[in-house]
Parts: sequence; structure tokens; C-alpha cells
Amino acid sequence: MKVSRRDLLLGSAGVAAGLVFTPVPWKLLGDASIWTQNWPWIPQPAHGPIETKQSVCTLCAAGCGIRVRMAAGWPVGVSGVSTHPLTKGALCPLAFAAQQLNWHPQRLREVRHRGRAASWADAKAAFEKACSEGPVAIVDGRPGRAASSVFEAFAAKHTGSYQVVLGPENRALLPYAEWSGVPVCALGYDLENARTVVSFGASLLDGWGTPGRFTRLWSKRAAGQMDPPLRLIQIEPSLSRTAARAWRWVPVKEGSEAALAAGLARVLIEERLTSTKGPVPPMTLAEASTQTGLSIEEIRDLARTIAANRPAVVITPDANPAVAALNVLLGAVGASGGIVLRGKRRAASTIPGPANNSLRAVLIDATVPWEYVPQSDAEVFRFAAWDGGNSKADWLLPAPGFLEELTDLPTEPTSAVETYAIAVNLLTPGAEIKSATQFLAQIDGSLPEIEKVIHARCEELFKSRAGTVFAAKAVAVAQSESAQKLEEQLRGGGVWMNDAPRSGSLPCTLKQWPTDAAKSRALDWASLWAPAVLPPLAGKLYQESNLREAPARRSA
Amino acid sequence: MNARYGMVIDLDRCTGCGACMIACAAENNVPPAQPRATYRTGVTPMLVRKATNGQEGALRREVFVPITCMQCEEETPCVSVCPQQAVEVDKATGIVMQIPQRCLGCRYCMTACPYHARYFNWWDPQWPAGMENSLNPGVAVRMRGVVEKCNLCHARLHSAMAKAAAEGKREIDPADYVPACVEACPTGAILFGNLADEKDPVYAAAHSADSFRLLARIGTEPKIHYKSTQAWIRALAERSTEHSGEAQHG
Amino acid sequence: MLVTAFLLEPKLGTKGTIVRRNLLVFLSGIALALVAGWAVFPKVLYVQKDQPLDFYHKTHGEKSGLATCDSCHVVAANGEFSGIPRSEVCAGCHTEKLGTTEAEDILVLDYLKQGKEMPWLVYSRQPANVWFSHAIHTRRGGLACTECHGSYGESDQQRVYEQNRISGYSRDIWGHSISRLRRAPHDGMKMTDCESCHRRRHIEVGCFGCHQ
Repeated sequence: MKVSRRDLLLGSAGVAAGLVFTPVPWKLLGDASIWTQNWPWIPQPAHGPIETKQSVCTLCAAGCGIRVRMAAGWPVGVSGVSTHPLTKGALCPLAFAAQQLNWHPQRLREVRHRGRAASWADAKAAFEKACSEGPVAIVDGRPGRAASSVFEAFAAKHTGSYQVVLGPENRALLPYAEWSGVPVCALGYDLENARTVVSFGASLLDGWGTPGRFTRLWSKRAAGQMDPPLRLIQIEPSLSRTAARAWRWVPVKEGSEAALAAGLARVLIEERLTSTKGPVPPMTLAEASTQTGLSIEEIRDLARTIAANRPAVVITPDANPAVAALNVLLGAVGASGGIVLRGKRRAASTIPGPANNSLRAVLIDATVPWEYVPQSDAEVFRFAAWDGGNSKADWLLPAPGFLEELTDLPTEPTSAVETYAIAVNLLTPGAEIKSATQFLAQIDGSLPEIEKVIHARCEELFKSRAGTVFAAKAVAVAQSESAQKLEEQLRGGGVWMNDAPRSGSLPCTLKQWPTDAAKSRALDWASLWAPAVLPPLAGKLYQESNLREAPARRSA
Repeated sequence: MNARYGMVIDLDRCTGCGACMIACAAENNVPPAQPRATYRTGVTPMLVRKATNGQEGALRREVFVPITCMQCEEETPCVSVCPQQAVEVDKATGIVMQIPQRCLGCRYCMTACPYHARYFNWWDPQWPAGMENSLNPGVAVRMRGVVEKCNLCHARLHSAMAKAAAEGKREIDPADYVPACVEACPTGAILFGNLADEKDPVYAAAHSADSFRLLARIGTEPKIHYKSTQAWIRALAERSTEHSGEAQHG
Repeated sequence: MLVTAFLLEPKLGTKGTIVRRNLLVFLSGIALALVAGWAVFPKVLYVQKDQPLDFYHKTHGEKSGLATCDSCHVVAANGEFSGIPRSEVCAGCHTEKLGTTEAEDILVLDYLKQGKEMPWLVYSRQPANVWFSHAIHTRRGGLACTECHGSYGESDQQRVYEQNRISGYSRDIWGHSISRLRRAPHDGMKMTDCESCHRRRHIEVGCFGCHQ
């Protein structure tokens, strides 16, 4: 019996007809549709127990309280802590994507020596050689930490120098430090008691200091009100976000902030609007008017407005002596609502050491901004969690990233009172990641241990009986059970805050009006974000929307 | 539950920082922008737009307006056009529920939405290696070819419901259900709550003299309200604009 | 046989022969399809996969006083369900070997002592866009575990895990009956199964009641 083509066709027809009465086509259709929804290249979230842990963000010196949602041991969400005394639950915009940072494509995961892969052993050998051949400098971007004491100890023992890089909000206080002889890290801004805040271009509502502090204050006391108890006056050439929401926006010509400050000072003195004695600026009102683009009457009106609601304080984005002098005249230095002295805790001490050009090596901690370039031809050992690109460093050393390092946070740069917090590492980085202190400990085993330093600091805090710990509830230290309990609360994401400063005035000696003025430079929004790279989701703000301009130097 | 969840966004408080946009994207597993993505092809379930008063120089005024799904209550445009019936107004919460996995990608709803609040996934989601560990397990990841939009952080409502059940309660604790954008806003500009509950602060805010809704005249009864003490901002409400970066008055 | 013989009987030159032959071929096709579709297909569609070790619920119920499901499968205070318990729950009793079986060896030596999680294959794993709250169904709904999971809690052998080769999901989702006719009440966890139970009890939930 020959099987013909017709047989084949008929047979297939039969099979097809029969299949309809079997589960095959229906099940295959359904399963295939499910298959099309499960492509293997579509990532799936991790499955595991969900926990929420409280900690403190260490990406910049602000140390905002964070609540980290973890699933299967990985951080999957970041939000603020409403009981944090400074942030009141707010965070900077990019913090909400911080959990992505550890997997950023530019994350450093191996030691690199001049572009080639190397090992920690190589780096250690090179650093030890450098130490034996000449003086070494250690650069710290966040002084006052337990790690900072380790750096200082190393520099002291090995005849090196310990240098500190300050952030812009700290640098803005340098003039007052100079004039009053007080270390700059002992100064803060008492915004909570100010009634008029005059910002000369500082982005107070968009990333200045601790993000939540002024935004929450302003929201409560000023937003939407015609005659608010807190008046924000923004002096800026263009309409920034802060200027757009300020009570008054004073548009001045670019670079004329010093002229305006001089003009305002003249009016304050001439019209006797201030009782504080101070030097008279050399500039006349007419000159100020020409330089700023405001009329003389407008300058007079502004001065009267500032003086009308005291305390008034002037804030600049960076060190600007010519404008800072205005605070002296307004009586805002050392007074409530102005620039205040925040207790006598140890300020950052630097060990000057030899001049930069005779240094053999420089070790730069991960907390130093990526743009910092040491001014010498020393061999540079750069610790960083992320590679910001174009590094001139000889050695790139992979440091712990987000939530990966046990560290403590000394007083927040702009705070009016002292604060202290501990950030526990919620994640354990791999063996290839080392912090600068771990690296130095391998070279000199006698250096203080971070855990012990933190423990000692908690003991000190407990003994002082001062301040309050803001954990789930605010508990006065005087009522705290033990140093151990205090440390536990801090390790659990709590924050210690000192009582209001009782210290009084900060006498400033200012013989003549400063002529030294900072160049006004528009701070790119991305440059206020401390890490070297932006989280990938940052693209929502400038690429997938027109909300912000594309960042000048960094890519997400 | 018989709630009508909605918001009142205070435009006098919004500084245009974008925290809400980032928090929304992180909560909802929205992937980072593809290299070719622009504001027209990106996915931003919460999108903050800038509007000005049209003047320049010292007279210029700006306002930032967070735009999200308006959760239209009546004759919801996207619901009425979807051929897949992939979107529906939830009777229990008033949330306009969309199931992206049911969507076939015709984008009719995107045309129908008067607020341009719907976004199409032009590309498959891609994260750098290992970053999928940071994805929120409460939200399913969408593949390319489907439309998505704000769902008022429904995963958080789910968690609140499960927690209430575990505690033996029938109603959720309002403090447990806070959408990501509301939580993220550093000035507290977004007030969220149950518009059907007269004791909820959001009810009073929505009924205040300063509050308004965008394009209220078309009658979709959005549950996202805005408020401002400034008349020029309130006057923007009835204008429709081209889908560009800025909207202008006058 | 007789029918076939009849059909094959050559009747030279008649159209009837050809028609009968054609019919035979056609009917054979149908028969082949029916056999393949009902008997072969279900076997071929699913592939069997091994669990990390043999676990018997009955042993744990009887011998160790873990009488109820929620001794190990816990609804946490925040409403999250533990699912299959993590290794640390097993380690609560099995710090050392408690028995002499091979499963015990694997448990203690390969997993617990090395601090590793056991890669259990979950029979009721739903797609990522499904949200099911055990807290709501067991506490508010008052459902017993057996309502959906049957008498699995009394198993005295490790149930085989069968995975659909195409969709990747467990056979438990579709149910063991390939036609879904005459199936046990708790056999199958498709959306229609959830819907029918909700309909019976008049509990209306919108899309987001079960989806995420």
C-alpha cells in the first residue's frame, strides 16, 4: 500500500481536526501567551523577607535620616525619617534613587594603577614605599569623623600632614572664623530663629545644607503667605527655583553681589538702621546702583525691608567676605537668628606639615569631592566608590559605597547646634572594597579602631548629660539609661542633638570693609550632589523631562 | 472600603526639585532613560512641568506643576477608549486601575488622556548589571509595548491592607498608605488623602477657595486638585498647552 | 479489525474504495490526534524537577509537635507572608541531624551548616503582577489553608514538582486535570479559580485587588 500525497494531506487534516478536540491548541495558545510575557531579559525583583531599617545617609556631610526598605537583604527603597530633628523627613531629590548607586556602571570594584588593574598588595607596597621616602599628606573631605581621628593619628606618627577640604556651606563661614578667631567648624547658621533670610544666590530651597531643614522651615512659615513670619529674599541675576518661590526676588547684574552688599551697608549706616558699629564701605550708592542695575531707591527700600524684620541674616553660597561683612553690620554674627557658635566640641584640626610641593604622596579619602586635585606632583592614592572620569590620580582605590561602611557623622555643616549620628553598614561589601582607614590599619596596626572611637564618643556623650537623642521618640540624654543604650539608639538610625547654644556674641574685628569678593558662579544642580556619579534615574529630571538642565560635567 | 483617594498639590510650595519624580520612578521600577529617550518618549508617571507668566526680566514669574494621572472620576477618558478593558475605576478606592500586562499597546488611551499623563514603554527595561537587586518587589516590571501611568502607589495600599488584616482591623491606618511622591516632597506640597472623608484634611483643602483643578471644564472630575494663593497661577488651570517644556500664560 | 478489513478490502476500480481509504486515513489522523493530545501531551508538556531535598510534612506534624501550618508558614505582624520558611526556621530545630535520612544529611551539611538558603521550587508561584495576601485571606477571610492547598500539609512524601516547559509555571497553577473538567476544588490557581471563589462568596474586588 503506497502512501500517497493525498494520504498525507488527509491524515494531516484528520490530525488537525482531532487536535481541536484535545487540549493541545488551547493549552499551547495560553502557555505561549504566558511565555511571551516572561522574556528572560526582563529583570525581576528579588524575592525575600521585607524589612525596614533606619540609618543615616553618608553620601554627603548632611547626614539625613533615612529609612531603607530591604527585600532579600538588598536595599529597594529609600525614604526620609520624619522624626529627624533637622530634615523632618525630607531628602534631596536624588537620594530616592541612592539604592541604585552601588551598581552604577562606574562603580569602582578593583584597584587601578594608572589605568591598569592592580591589587591592594601593590597599592599597599607603593604607599609604604612612599611613606618611607618622604612626607605624605592625607586629605579628608569630612572632618570630625572617627575616621578623621585615624587620619590625624597616622599623619602625626608618620610625619605627614592632615588636610581638610570644606564644603561650600562651611567655606561661606570662613570670613567670620577669620574675624572672630573661632574655628570654622564651630560656626553654624541659626535659621530657625531668623525672621529675614537674605540669600545672595545660595540655593536655599534647592540643595543648600541639609536639604530638608530650610525647605520644611520655609514651607511652614513662609510658603504662600503675603506677609510671612519668615521672609526669604533672594538676590540673584536669574530666576532660580529659590528665587521663584522667595518672598522677594531681587534681580541684580551678574557679579554685582559685593556692590549690592556695599550699597545696603551704606544705607544701614546712613539711615541708622542698625546699632552695630562697622566699617563704612568705600563704594557710593550711585556706584552700587550702576553695578547692580537697581535704582538707588530700590537699594534703600531693600535695606529698610531687611532691617524691618529682625533677626536678619545674610547667606552666601561660598566664602564671600565682601557680602559677609553685611552680617556683621546687621548684628547677625553671634546672635540668635544669625551666625552662631555651636558649642565647644573639638573642631577640625589640621596638621599643616610640609608645603604641598615637597610631598611624596597624597592619600585622598573617598569623602573628598571628585573634582579636588592636589596641587603637587606627589603620587596620588585616591579612594572613591565611583569613578567620576578624567582622574589624574595614580592609584584609584575602591572604597565602600552606599550603606557599606560603618562611620559616624559629626555636626551637620550648617546646623546651629551640635549633632552626632552613626551610620551602620546595612550591606557588607566584597573583599575588594576597602576604606582608607582599613587600608591604613593594614600598614599601621596601632591606629585607633573606628568601632572603639565611636564607642568612646558615645560614652562621652552620655557623660555630658546634654542634648536629646531623636530615635523613635525624643529622649533627653539626661534620662538615657546607659552609654550602651545611647549607642544602640544611634546605631539604629537615631540622631543626637545638643541643647540650644548658650554662648553669646562672637566679637568680630573688622577694621575696614572687605574688598575681597567671590566670583558669583551659578552652581549647577548636579554639582550640589556629592558623589562622583548621579544615580541612573537622574535622567528623569533632564533627559525624560524639561525640568532641569542637563548636568555640566556628570552623566547618570 | 469606600474611599476616593486624591491629592491637593500646593503650587506655592512646589520648588520644582524633582524629588517626587525620582521617588516615583524608584518605587514603580521605572527603568532609567534609554540613551535615545527624550521628554516625549520617556516614562515619567510623575512629571513636574514649568509654567511662566510669559514675562521676561524682573517681571518673570515661574511655577512648577507636578502632573500625574488625575484619577478622573466621571467619564474617565482612558477607560472609555481601551479596547482591552485594561483600565477601570476601582469602586472601592476611586483609583484608575490599569493593568499594563493586559495592554496591547494601541496607545488610544494616551490620545484620550487630556492631561498627557500616560506613558508608553518604547523599549524593554534595562538596568546596569546587578541593579535589578534594587527593584521594588511590590511592583511588577513592565516590558516594552505597554502603556503605564501613575496608580497612586498601589503597592503601598496593598501593604497597608495586608498589615491591617494581620492586625485584625477592617480599615487601613492612613499613615501606612503614603504614595512615594507625597513622602518625598521636601516642602510637603502634596497633600494626599481620602476625598470622600469630610474629616480628612485633603477634603478641606480641596474645597478651599484657593483650590482648582486642571481643565475642570471638560468634566472628567479629576481627583488631583491644585491650590495657589496667586491669581495668575489659578488662571493657568483652564488653558491647555502644547506638550513642551513650558506653558505660557497670555 | 473487521471494520478496517472491510475498509481495506480491495474493490477494484470503485470510487468507494478510495472514499473508504480516505476516510480511514482521516479517521486515523483524528485518532492519532486524540491519543497524542490527551495522553501524550500532558506528559510531554511538563518536566519534572527536583526539590533540594525530600521533605515530609507529616513527619513534622506528628513527631515534632508542629501541628498547625502557621508553625512554620507565618503571617508576620506587617502582613507579609513568609512563604516557604527560610533556612533559619529549619535551623531552629535542626542544628544537628535529627534523623538518619539522606534528606537530613543534605539539610544540615549542604545548607544549614553553610548558611545557605534552600532553593525550593514553589508550587504556587504566581506571575510577578499578581498580588495575593495570605494575611487578608486567612485572617479577614477566615479561609483554612486546606481550602486552596488541599491536604498538602499531611504529605508523607515529597510531591514531585512539575514545570510547564513553555510557560515556566508549576503544574499546580493550571491544575492536574489537563482539561480542567472534574477537578478537585483546590486543584488550580489560575485567575478564573480566584474569580469563581470570589463570585461564590460575593466579594467584589477591582483589578488592583489582586494585581500589582
